[in-house]
Amino acid sequence: MADLYSNNYLIVAIFFILGLALPIGALTAGRFLRPNNPIAEKRTTYESGMEPIGGSWVQFNVKYYIYALLFVVFDVETIFLYPWAVAYDQLGLFALVEMLIFVTLLVIGLIYAWKKKVLEWD
Amino acid sequence: MSGQFVAFFILSLLTIGGAVFMISLQKVVHQVVALAFSFLSIAGLYVMLEAEFVAVTQVLVYAGSISILMLFGIMLTRHDAHEDTGRGKFKFLAFIVVAAFFVLVFMGIQTMNIEGTPANFSQQNNVLEIGKLMFSQYVIPFEIMSVLLLVALVGAIILAKREADDK
Repeated sequence: MADLYSNNYLIVAIFFILGLALPIGALTAGRFLRPNNPIAEKRTTYESGMEPIGGSWVQFNVKYYIYALLFVVFDVETIFLYPWAVAYDQLGLFALVEMLIFVTLLVIGLIYAWKKKVLEWD
Repeated sequence: MSGQFVAFFILSLLTIGGAVFMISLQKVVHQVVALAFSFLSIAGLYVMLEAEFVAVTQVLVYAGSISILMLFGIMLTRHDAHEDTGRGKFKFLAFIVVAAFFVLVFMGIQTMNIEGTPANFSQQNNVLEIGKLMFSQYVIPFEIMSVLLLVALVGAIILAKREADDK
């Protein structure tokens, strides 16, 4: 059983290595094939466009932090959906009601954020 | 040498490497990337311990949202000032302290013995068992969890809203 278990993750490891090797291989091949002529103008943010002023690292508004916090909250919700989905067949209707209560409570939070105009981009 | 040993060696090397890079890199964004790398390797270690649920939690919450949260935190603060004070002054002292700590921990691990028999969890689907328990025996804590998340969400909105209005 334990051997079978780790063999399943061998496929994951192969996919991981493939995912790493493909972009590295493609970029390395491109490096040898393409012509190389770096000039200072090519390194600007918008080549043959507007002249950029100042650095790109500016301080953003604190408001945008709420987006990250909302994402974390709904990410944690996803974690709880995972065992629920796996065990759903053996749990029945009661689990569905429980999960509906759970999701509804979080949707209330989303509606609150919406009403407070947190989601508006101004 | 089994495949499990090789996998453990690679994963722990990546974990420690990510942590070391996180400390030694100069730019904050690079540090977060190194930390995310460390988180992902720890998820791999959890998979090796046959704790899939913990591994998925590690990937989703830590490698996913905590890294995003840190990146947002970096974007929201001024970080172009990187100071370089007091480094190298106490290098020797720090080395001695770290070495002593390592020896203590190593001795502790060597002499530690854990009582009881290990749980027999390899024979079953762990996530399924967690799901069954969570939605039958531990329903009330689960629902209270959602209230906790709601309170955290509302509190964060109120705090961030007030900060934004002050500006």
